[in-house]
Amino acid sequence: MKPIDLTTHLGRLTLKNPVMTASGTYGFGEEYAAFYDPSRLGAITVKGITPLPRRGNPVPRVAETPSGMLNAVGLENPGLEAFLATYLPRLEKLKTPIIVNISGFSLDDYALMASAMPEDSCIAAVEVNISCPNIKQGGLAFGTDPRSAEEVLRVTRKNTKLPLIAKLTPNVTDIVTLAKAVENGGADMISLINTLLGMRIDLKTRKPILGNTMGGLSGPAVLPVAVRMVYQVYKAVRVPIIGMGGISTWQDAVEFMLAGATAVSVGTANFVNPLAPLEIIEGLTEYCRQAGFAAVREIVGLAHR
Amino acid sequence: MLHREIVIENQRIGADVYRLVLKGAVAATARPGQFVHLQVGTTTDPLLRRPISIAGIDQPKGEITLYYRVVGRGTAKLTGVRAGETLSVIGPVGTGFTVPAVGELLLVAGGIGLFPLFTLIEAVDRSAVRVKVLWGGENRTFIQEVGGETLFKMDVDYAVATMDGSMGHAGLVTDLLQAALEDRAARSLAHRTAEGQTAGTAPSDWGTGALTERPEGRAAFTVAACGPKGMLQAVAESCGQMGVPVEVSLEERMACGVGACLGCVCLVRTTDGTLARRRVCKDGPVFDGREVVWDEAD
Repeated sequence: MKPIDLTTHLGRLTLKNPVMTASGTYGFGEEYAAFYDPSRLGAITVKGITPLPRRGNPVPRVAETPSGMLNAVGLENPGLEAFLATYLPRLEKLKTPIIVNISGFSLDDYALMASAMPEDSCIAAVEVNISCPNIKQGGLAFGTDPRSAEEVLRVTRKNTKLPLIAKLTPNVTDIVTLAKAVENGGADMISLINTLLGMRIDLKTRKPILGNTMGGLSGPAVLPVAVRMVYQVYKAVRVPIIGMGGISTWQDAVEFMLAGATAVSVGTANFVNPLAPLEIIEGLTEYCRQAGFAAVREIVGLAHR
Repeated sequence: MLHREIVIENQRIGADVYRLVLKGAVAATARPGQFVHLQVGTTTDPLLRRPISIAGIDQPKGEITLYYRVVGRGTAKLTGVRAGETLSVIGPVGTGFTVPAVGELLLVAGGIGLFPLFTLIEAVDRSAVRVKVLWGGENRTFIQEVGGETLFKMDVDYAVATMDGSMGHAGLVTDLLQAALEDRAARSLAHRTAEGQTAGTAPSDWGTGALTERPEGRAAFTVAACGPKGMLQAVAESCGQMGVPVEVSLEERMACGVGACLGCVCLVRTTDGTLARRRVCKDGPVFDGREVVWDEAD
């Protein structure tokens, strides 16, 4: 029996399989090393980095929702300098392609972050976060206006040769316009989707549960929204799509790939089942074997035929 | 770190509190103050795991004991789990209590914050450490139903406080702590005075004399606490004023339970005076009470 080819081509970036982890759900790669060897993954996306350290939002930062959860961490991170000095050397040891998620509050911030990323390290790509719903300025603002989004990508593109991923927010009326804008700006790939803005209220205190009042919804509840957006964007752009949003099982991953995702990211599911990414790799392989595909990339976009 | 544990017992002990005994790999490496992150079902709703403190560790039998109060949909669902079934458990996780080798250990508990302290009672060498529990609860029913199945069977000194005055001290458990700290300070002063007169003799009011003295002539006296945030803050402040070392076990809404998501954080003031984030699930849940910044004003 011939092994199924899992090799995944995302523009210039080649991964050994299409399953990666989503930013903010996998720390800096070390926490889940207690469960399995992270090098079995296609790639790891690390916690979003900003130029300066951020303490993030006050607690509570998470709230459960039906088949999902809200988070409002607020981009707590050690900042660019500490990331490069302390965390990057540790990430090298994981022997896994690393995707660094960057956020900023101005075009200069994005330029600075992009130019600071070494091009000869374990960093395989830079994910440009223009979609964080949990910070007061920047973030989401860049991701909801096509002109700003394109400009952020253009500035980032000028400052690094690394492959660029644009991570888009679903909190827009027309995702296709945004996708086309970041493609024009120079994105090599598009990540779909970040969290959906939501909130919950405590019946006892009669106040919002989250310290930040509002937060981003993730988990199985958002899956159909994400599949729909991947499907729409696949038709409109040429760059490959990394699909994410509620992926917990291999069936979910197959659905995203049929919709047009070349690779998938596992996020919230890590919290529930730390082994989810590995189970998805196995299940994807078995699905291809049973359906008669020689390579997993053959199923990408089949829902459009 | 990810295990399937067999349910040995899942019984209501009173006041919406259940005892859950699990057999498996966790017991072998569990330490006082650590917790487990339990999956309460196999469906996506409720989605997240539940963090529950470890209240008993029986290494020879390979069993851990947990107590949980039914507070929401997850814990309600957990009550339906039967002996013989298995549960998916991440654990043991977290950084727990320091186990003192000598001296006096005062444990301060609020409500169901009592349970994580049991592992500390079990872990200390009781011939060298004198242990006393101060426990506050809503009322007599809660204290009797829960304590009758747990604390009162443990052969340990205790005092209780109830908000409605129906049992023990009428008021807060922190009143009991304050009295104990003042009493302790007075004894310490008396001891030092006595020591000046008859150097080297053990103070008779400390009982057996088994307590080992610190070089400065005072037996080690420490406090460990678990309960609502307001109570822990009061405990930490009282101990801070008296210069008594105190460890507090914090509770926070959690998602991953292993330090990856930064959902459950607290703020601490480090030794160099700067403010820093710590993860309750990984760096805690037990922290030095004097380090924790309780009011986070932005």
